[in-house]
Amino acid sequence: MLFSNLIFIADSSAWFNTDKLLTLIISLFCVIILLYTTYYKAKQSKFKIREIAGLKAIEDAIGRATEMARPLLFTPGWGGDIQRPTTIASMNILGHVASKTAQYNCQLIYPTHDPVIMAVAQEVIKGAYASAGYADRYKEDNIFYVSSSQFGYAAAVEGLISRLKPASIFLLGTFEAESLILAETGNINKAIQIAGTDSTIQLSFFIVACDYVLIGEELFAASGYLSDDHSIKASVRAQDIIKLLIAVFLIVATIWVTIDPNSQWWKL
Amino acid sequence: MSATRSQPVFETRHLIFLSLFLIILVTMLIGYNPEIKVTSETQKVYDYIDSLPSGSVLIVSFDHEASSLPEIKPIALTVLRHAFSKDIKLIGTALLAEGTGVGYRLITETAKEYNKEYGQDFVYLGFKPQYIAAILSMGESIPDTYPEDYLDKPYFSNEMLKDIINYDDVAGVISIADGSLTTHWIEYGASRYNVNITAAVTAAMMTTYDPYIASNQLYAMFGGLRGAAEYEKLIDRGGAGKRGMLAQSVSHIYVIILIIIGNIMYFVQRKRRRGSK
Amino acid sequence: MGDYRSKFAMVETMMNRRIPQMICFAFGAALFTVFFLSHPLAKDLNLTITVDYWQIIFAFTLIVGVVSFVRITIKNIKKGEDRPYRIVSLIGLIAMPVLALIWGIRGDSPFMWVFEYVQVPMQSTVFALLAFFVASASFRGFRARSAPAAVLLIAALLTLLSRSSLEGILPVYFSDFADWIRSNPSMAARRAILIGIGLGSLTTSLRVLLGIERTWLGGEK
Repeated sequence: MLFSNLIFIADSSAWFNTDKLLTLIISLFCVIILLYTTYYKAKQSKFKIREIAGLKAIEDAIGRATEMARPLLFTPGWGGDIQRPTTIASMNILGHVASKTAQYNCQLIYPTHDPVIMAVAQEVIKGAYASAGYADRYKEDNIFYVSSSQFGYAAAVEGLISRLKPASIFLLGTFEAESLILAETGNINKAIQIAGTDSTIQLSFFIVACDYVLIGEELFAASGYLSDDHSIKASVRAQDIIKLLIAVFLIVATIWVTIDPNSQWWKL
Repeated sequence: MSATRSQPVFETRHLIFLSLFLIILVTMLIGYNPEIKVTSETQKVYDYIDSLPSGSVLIVSFDHEASSLPEIKPIALTVLRHAFSKDIKLIGTALLAEGTGVGYRLITETAKEYNKEYGQDFVYLGFKPQYIAAILSMGESIPDTYPEDYLDKPYFSNEMLKDIINYDDVAGVISIADGSLTTHWIEYGASRYNVNITAAVTAAMMTTYDPYIASNQLYAMFGGLRGAAEYEKLIDRGGAGKRGMLAQSVSHIYVIILIIIGNIMYFVQRKRRRGSK
Repeated sequence: MGDYRSKFAMVETMMNRRIPQMICFAFGAALFTVFFLSHPLAKDLNLTITVDYWQIIFAFTLIVGVVSFVRITIKNIKKGEDRPYRIVSLIGLIAMPVLALIWGIRGDSPFMWVFEYVQVPMQSTVFALLAFFVASASFRGFRARSAPAAVLLIAALLTLLSRSSLEGILPVYFSDFADWIRSNPSMAARRAILIGIGLGSLTTSLRVLLGIERTWLGGEK
């Protein structure tokens, strides 16, 4: 038994799933490009992220809420949990927004559907208030869990928007069918709305109902844009390089299959 | 948190809401069922289930919340009825807590229509929290993920589950979803364990899955009230899908009219603004 | 005294930043590696992390969430803010577990009765609001402000018409054309966005694992 186990452990094919070799190669290739750009290239050249209207408007949205003495509402949507990159990207923007609301003494309301997200958001906002030098302005009760149910959450946030009438609303994270309910309620209550999500179907709803929309990857580039951190901007550059390579691959494959319809070399 | 309250005023949007409500109410009461054409998408799902040999095992996952029941129920019923009529054995699961009770009721009530027995022809395993973890875990071992079924019976005490260990032992998974949970079945179930995934989803979610259909990561998909009506036509059994088609079609036309009116107003206002300059 | 302070700050940084960062990297690297391995040990490790650890964490944070909800609700009831809504929420929160504990959650239990006849209709009502909001948003927002917007508008109208049951009235090629829009230009655009999202997710995840992005730890950028 022990012997057979040892043979099994020694046999590399039993260790490695060969079906995933291509995925491993592509993943490592992307990681290498990212590491090279972030740690080596970043030292040599300055990277700049193009102007993103939705992110540029964040300051105005916070300023509007401060001037009108009304709260600002930030919610990450119902669709995601904390391990989703979209939620992490949303947290990065939340940190920036919180540091500004701390400076301007503007009330920041953060309802969420997930207790883990609530706990992380409390840490992010508390940290941002402390970093801005206004730890005393932080109110833990403003970051709260409402319901894990999709439309329970939607009804709770919709009710909050209708009653509190926030001047600015940030809908950044993973949204599903609740997206239009929240965005339309915000619109009816005349709030300035900045939205962003990774769901293509919900993006179309946001585009109709919100003032500014971060489309797909703009949400992920936000932290580099807002923090001006050179390493983060370099990682966005790496993302563009990989995207360019994918585009080249797609063009070559399209031309190839047009010339030789039976060719399938790209399927390996 | 201080609340600011405003006086209710009758606005254009209230008129829009009221008109839509009346349109749906009246068309639902008329009871006229328009003739519909079966699309290739729905036909593919039907052909897939129809082609399975009797005795095959399918996992039907109720990945939806209670809220979407009016749309999800007709969709789910068509799939369940078709599968039971073909003597396909079903394992019910739920990746969202709210879908659990709904799923159990749907599967047991449909089973009764076809005289199917619990444990022999179908089993309901119920809800498992953390959907990604549940999908991955079932790929390794379904009995380890669900040591007991929804009725607290040990997994292997159900006759039909004796040889079902993981996805290799089932013909495929049908995810009945109102959101993006099917994506997790595709990303974790299909890509990692090569299990065949079919989706039965709400209308709003259909375009989300188009790229997965085109890349064959998702085998087939149908959805919405329209999809349910088409499937009802294929299995030759009427239902809520067919009944709701007139209301849905008229609502579509109503929205089209609203868009046209909105644009006419926009162009008239633009012309006036230009004229005043 | 100053020395103690600097030592305390060092320990605080270590506990709040370095150790969570190291745990994050270790688990990220472990999960990345086991994805490519087929050995039962790797599979066991994968399941332990993704199923057992995560569910334990979730269970405890759920308690945190419920406690937070109850605390805020009671505080607001005392203050008189949104009192009727808060009382209903609290009754719901207490009643459902009590019903489940006494009579169970299956079949015709009171829990299922409340679920089917109270929760389902309420949630369906909120879901149904979507139809009304789609109508008002279409009326207000769907305008042919420019030539590309006009093209999008026409495509949307064609798709809407094709999804209704007007086959007998509309020509056959109408539905085919709408399907073509959905399967070609629309799909191409969505794929482009999806590729961008995929790459954005990849870089964000790597930034978190490598410690380039630390906002999620609180405070520090």
